[in-house]
Amino acid sequence: MIINSDRVVYNQSRGFFCPQGQAEPRHISRRSRMDYSRLFFFNILLLHTCSASPPNFVLLFADDLGFGDLGCYGHPSSLTPNLDRLAEDGLRFTDFYCTSPVCSPSRASLLTGRYQTRSGVYPGVLYPGSKGGLPLNETTIAEVLKPLGYATAAMGKWHLGVGANGTFLPTKQGFDHYLGIPYSHDMGPCHNLTCFPPDVKCFGNCDVGVVTVPLMHNEVIKQQPVNFLDLERAYSDFATDFITASAKKKQPFFLYYPSHHTHYPQYAGPGAAGRTLRGPFGDALLELDNTIGQLMITLEKTGVIGNTLVLFTSDNGPELMRMSRGGNAGPMRCGKGTTYEGGMREPAIAYWKGTIGPGVTHEMASTLDILPTIASLAGAKLPPVMLDGVDMTDILLNQGQSKREAMMFYPTDPNEMFGLFALRLGKYKAHFYTRGASHSGTIPDPDCSPIAALKAHDPPLLFDLEADPSEHYPLPSEGDPDLEAVLERIKKIKEQFESSMVFGESQISKGTDRDLEPCCNPTCSPKPSCCHC
Amino acid sequence: MAVVLCSQTLILFWAIICCALTGKPGNVLSPNIIILLMDDMGWGDLGVFGQPSKETPNLDAMAAQGMLFPNFYSANPLCSPSRAALLTGRLPVRNGFYTTNAHARNAYTPQEIVGGISKDEILLPQMLKKKGYASKIVGKWHLGHRPQYLPLEKGFDEWFGAPNCHFGPYNNSFRPNIPVYKNREMVGRFYEEFQIDRKTGESNLTQIYLEEAFDFILDQIEMQRPFFLYWAADATHAPVYASKPFLGKSQRGRYGDAVMELDDSIGRLLKALRFLNIENNTFVFFTSDNGAALSSGPHESGSNGPFLCGKETTFEGGMREPAIAWWPGHIKEGTVSFQLANVMDLFTTSLALAGVSPPNDTTLDGLNLTPVLLNQDPGALQNRPIFYYRGNELMAVRLGQYKAHYWTWSNSWKQFKTGINFCPGQEVPGVTTHEQKEHTMQPIIFHLGRDPGEKFPISVLSEEYQDALSRISPVVEQHKKTLTPSVPQLNMCDVAVMNWAPAGCEKLGKCLNVPKSAPWKCDWPH
Repeated sequence: MIINSDRVVYNQSRGFFCPQGQAEPRHISRRSRMDYSRLFFFNILLLHTCSASPPNFVLLFADDLGFGDLGCYGHPSSLTPNLDRLAEDGLRFTDFYCTSPVCSPSRASLLTGRYQTRSGVYPGVLYPGSKGGLPLNETTIAEVLKPLGYATAAMGKWHLGVGANGTFLPTKQGFDHYLGIPYSHDMGPCHNLTCFPPDVKCFGNCDVGVVTVPLMHNEVIKQQPVNFLDLERAYSDFATDFITASAKKKQPFFLYYPSHHTHYPQYAGPGAAGRTLRGPFGDALLELDNTIGQLMITLEKTGVIGNTLVLFTSDNGPELMRMSRGGNAGPMRCGKGTTYEGGMREPAIAYWKGTIGPGVTHEMASTLDILPTIASLAGAKLPPVMLDGVDMTDILLNQGQSKREAMMFYPTDPNEMFGLFALRLGKYKAHFYTRGASHSGTIPDPDCSPIAALKAHDPPLLFDLEADPSEHYPLPSEGDPDLEAVLERIKKIKEQFESSMVFGESQISKGTDRDLEPCCNPTCSPKPSCCHC
Repeated sequence: MAVVLCSQTLILFWAIICCALTGKPGNVLSPNIIILLMDDMGWGDLGVFGQPSKETPNLDAMAAQGMLFPNFYSANPLCSPSRAALLTGRLPVRNGFYTTNAHARNAYTPQEIVGGISKDEILLPQMLKKKGYASKIVGKWHLGHRPQYLPLEKGFDEWFGAPNCHFGPYNNSFRPNIPVYKNREMVGRFYEEFQIDRKTGESNLTQIYLEEAFDFILDQIEMQRPFFLYWAADATHAPVYASKPFLGKSQRGRYGDAVMELDDSIGRLLKALRFLNIENNTFVFFTSDNGAALSSGPHESGSNGPFLCGKETTFEGGMREPAIAWWPGHIKEGTVSFQLANVMDLFTTSLALAGVSPPNDTTLDGLNLTPVLLNQDPGALQNRPIFYYRGNELMAVRLGQYKAHYWTWSNSWKQFKTGINFCPGQEVPGVTTHEQKEHTMQPIIFHLGRDPGEKFPISVLSEEYQDALSRISPVVEQHKKTLTPSVPQLNMCDVAVMNWAPAGCEKLGKCLNVPKSAPWKCDWPH
């Protein structure tokens, strides 16, 4: 665990012995903003004079990791020294959101800068045999960067479709290279697989009746089932090779690492297994942290660290139904599957040696904002589509204010009839609908569990997230003119947003076809068990 | 008046700078000791422990410059016993700060309490005196308000603050307002000379407490004496208050304002130590007396982060405390220690730092943390249990990552139905029980590493359970066998002992008529 401090600016000339004489408290934000603006101009200067080549980007995306899971976000027993160091030396976000409380839609938004409803990656998630995937006419971050000559690679959990002949694989979406499992690693029988050394079997059964999870290199299956104990090392090597090769060629690069950690079933190789106080979840998290540590060493060694923006966040909130093996939402309410804060507020860290000053930002930001930010920093053209993200360069370089006015909360199964479940405007969040989720079952709060059926709120359930981030105390808006005005504004923004929203054709509703499940031995029988190489 | 005070302090300050520049460097062996003890502040209230509000840049910086303890505990989920344990280095059941009026009840020192800290107990300032330390308590005492129990009777050389919580205002006929003391005599009362505006939450007290701390530190530098400052500010205890410049400044309302002011004060204090060039010779420890009072929510309660319930309970939220050790040049900056530690360790550790041997013939419950703090033995954490007492009952025990609950209780149904909820949004069936539930034959065991929120008991049928229990049981047995509870000090109450006529009241014309003695057995609902 480490320590993260808001930037503390001491004013040497002020007498500190006169507490009663001091008229006002330190205005942390104002003063640090002044400080940062200088830094900002300096950075801009630096960017334009010293670095002829556009910056590299490393995007790290954890799986089912909650707001409270990292040491630097207050977990008492996690061991995440490398992420904590990135947070200590970089910028840590307290109000960062993903766009969906489950995997595939959240990933679609991350890579396109658009709510999942536009691209059609809803409801729920894609399966090994899904016919659909992230439509190829969507523009991913990789595709935004390609025209500028970037080398691009993805490794880890894709989960935006496989499709017939690998139609939807990363290599079809702007990535030059891919190594990974193209969907969740529990989407195949796992009770016979080893998750921890020497031979501790994975906990539970995972999905049965489908092929075991494959490891793919580009579009070819390399291993089926995947060897979990060796997987992280393979990723680490892949990343090292990619970065080293790009640096050697002096080619700018984009590395996207959507990790399988800390999704169920947790696994870890010999470098992390049994090394934490937090059991299987802690070990899985440490393994991800180790890989990030290794990555940072590679960036340092290849001399590109000063020209590389590293971003870290997670796809959705913790899967609380896994109990002691699940993640932790910290003080946030509920977790994965819900539109409460625990389902969608995420840890997020931005690190760029020499360019991003250390600190904590309370500005509202989202995975949606990553594409426009990367495009802006690289000098790339934005895709000519309706984007939901805003450029957050000013937050990163200047600790400036967010351009984001509101955050929209869609449920796992968005549709036009219900529309948004919740909307955050400034510090206020209004829930129009609430619903529990099986992913968040087993915890004491009855509103999180699947028993809590869909409930409409009129007037909406209103919370002040600054005073009450845990969403425990709804504000009595009726009869309070200020709060009623807030609600009016929220409703108006909701209306405007929804009227501009064009739902893309649902990719997940296209259904599944068993023949599309990745099989290393396509002609074998009986399937799925014969898909074993 | 503020201006006068200010200029006086400045003159003194310059005088001291001159002295300090010509004087010899401080003695490293007996460092100054400052304990910053917050009141009802929760583990989750600090940015460094994941609080999303922006209230604690100075404490976060203190942690970045020092050592953070994520596994630090109070000795009790309530103020008085926790404070008594800190100052005696002994569990409340040993030092007498508990009650036997009813089973497993938290007792403290409201102004009708007859008892106080026993004359047999040796307090930290008494021990430190052996090495010539000057000691001052600023803020809340809470170890008994009758004359024989007051701080200057127990080794402190100076005191500015109050003997009880700052509840009120009272009408002075059924109940007097709580007096504020300067050393041996009262200088006024809360809500009278020392205002706390219940409507706006405005009060200057934290600023006054800070100034008292500065005055003391400057005096000791001038006298070239090592010092012990026990800074027990109480702004985060209900009724929560902050001074005008801080009111409305935080995101979280009045509670956040109070946290901001305390953070700012601590930042100024640490800065002062550096300015005075004594930071390398001053050991500073920050913590809180018990968990955040969730029952005071939403407006006057802090956060216990991922932990279960809060103040008054023996779940983690009631007793796990934020804790930071700071000593530039001695404690490695930016470090985290997972050592299981508690407020009683501060007694033993302070003695070790000062070079005083612990008192003979007294059982101490604290560990010497200096090997951990000074990194003499990196990685070698001391394996020790944490005992969770509620009144006269050992409710739970933590050993390593395992915590076994022998008794569970949040509060009674009767209290709960009046709206007092110690675990809002966190009712864990069979765990946060509203009856006092005994599990002695089959304790509920949690693995706090995997499940810090105490939500998923380990199956009693599992090997892990049996293994954990087999290691905890002998520790509990040994503890109970060797424990000699002392006479409970918190059993009797009496209106006659209230703060009607504290020492110094004559000078101020603030003595009130003392009613006839009518003692009763105090009623402790929790």
